[in-house]
Amino acid sequence: MLHMFKASGILASLTLALGFITVQAQTEGAKTLETGTFHGKVHSTSGRATIYQEKDGKLVLRLTRFKTSNGPDVHVVLIALKDADDDANFLKNGTDRVELGALKGNEGDQNYDIPTGTDLAKFQTVSIYCERFNANFGAAPLTKF
Amino acid sequence: MNPSWITRKKWILIGVAIPVLIGLWWAFRPEKLWINQKVDEPAPFASTADPQPLYTGTLEGKAHETSGRATIYKTPSGIEYLRLTDFKTSNGPDVHVLLARADDESLHQEIVKGQLDSIELGALKGNQGDQNYDVQTSADLGKYNAVVIYCERFHAIFGVAKLEQF
Repeated sequence: MLHMFKASGILASLTLALGFITVQAQTEGAKTLETGTFHGKVHSTSGRATIYQEKDGKLVLRLTRFKTSNGPDVHVVLIALKDADDDANFLKNGTDRVELGALKGNEGDQNYDIPTGTDLAKFQTVSIYCERFNANFGAAPLTKF
Repeated sequence: MNPSWITRKKWILIGVAIPVLIGLWWAFRPEKLWINQKVDEPAPFASTADPQPLYTGTLEGKAHETSGRATIYKTPSGIEYLRLTDFKTSNGPDVHVLLARADDESLHQEIVKGQLDSIELGALKGNQGDQNYDVQTSADLGKYNAVVIYCERFHAIFGVAKLEQF
C-alpha cells in the first residue's frame, strides 16, 4: 500500500516537472525579431512596434504603449520603405504595403497577425494609415532586435 | 417676390445641406477627436518566465565605428542586466561599458573633457559578439538612459545607444 502511494507520488511530481518543461519550451518559442518606436507629430503617434515569431513560425506585430489620434478608417500596414514622413500618401507614391487590419484602438497594447510569406526584409516600417484620406498618421521604422 | 417661392428655396437648401453635412460627418468623423478607443490585449504568448526587456536602443558610432543593439532586461527575480547583441566596435585599450545620461552634452563629443557622469558596468568583454553586463538595482535607468562604449584611457566615446522603453 505504501509503495503504491510512493509510486503515485513520484508519478505526480514527474508529471508536474514535465508540465513545467513544456511551459518553458513554449515561452522560449516566441522570438523577438524586430522593434522600433513610432514617430508622428501631425497626428501625435507614439509607442513601440515589435514583431514576434511564434514557435509555429507565425509572425505577430504587437503595439505597446501605443497612442495615436482617433480617425476614420485607420489601418495598420507594413510598408516597403525605411521610414515614412507625416501625412505621406502611399497611394500616390505607389508604396508597396501589406494590410494587417483595421486599427483596433487608438490607445493601448494590441496584436496583429502578419500574413505568412511577408518579406520583412522588404517591409521594414509599420505605418498607422488613414485609408480614407491616404495619410500616414505615424511610422515606426523597424530594426533587428 | 413670391413668398411661397422663398419657402420652397429654403426647403431645397435644407434638402441639399443635410446630405452634404452627413457626407462631411462620414468622411471626417469629427467626434473621434474627443472619443478614445482604448484596448489592452495581452502578449500573444506567455512570457513572464523569461527575462523581460525594459529598455532598448541601437548603438551609433562616435570616435570609432560601433553598431549593434543594447537592451536592458529584468529577470523574474528582479535582477537587471544589459545585453549587447549584433555588437561590433573597434578594439582598444581599457574600453568600458557605461550608463550615462542621454541629455549629457559630453555625449555629443568624441573625446570627453573632464569626468563623464556615468555608472560603470565593467570592462568590455569583447569588441564583437553578444555579451551581458550586470546592472546594479540602485541604478536609476530613468536618468542614466544611454549606454556608452568608452575608452577610459583616452576619454574617447566609441559608441552611444540611447535607450527607450521597450
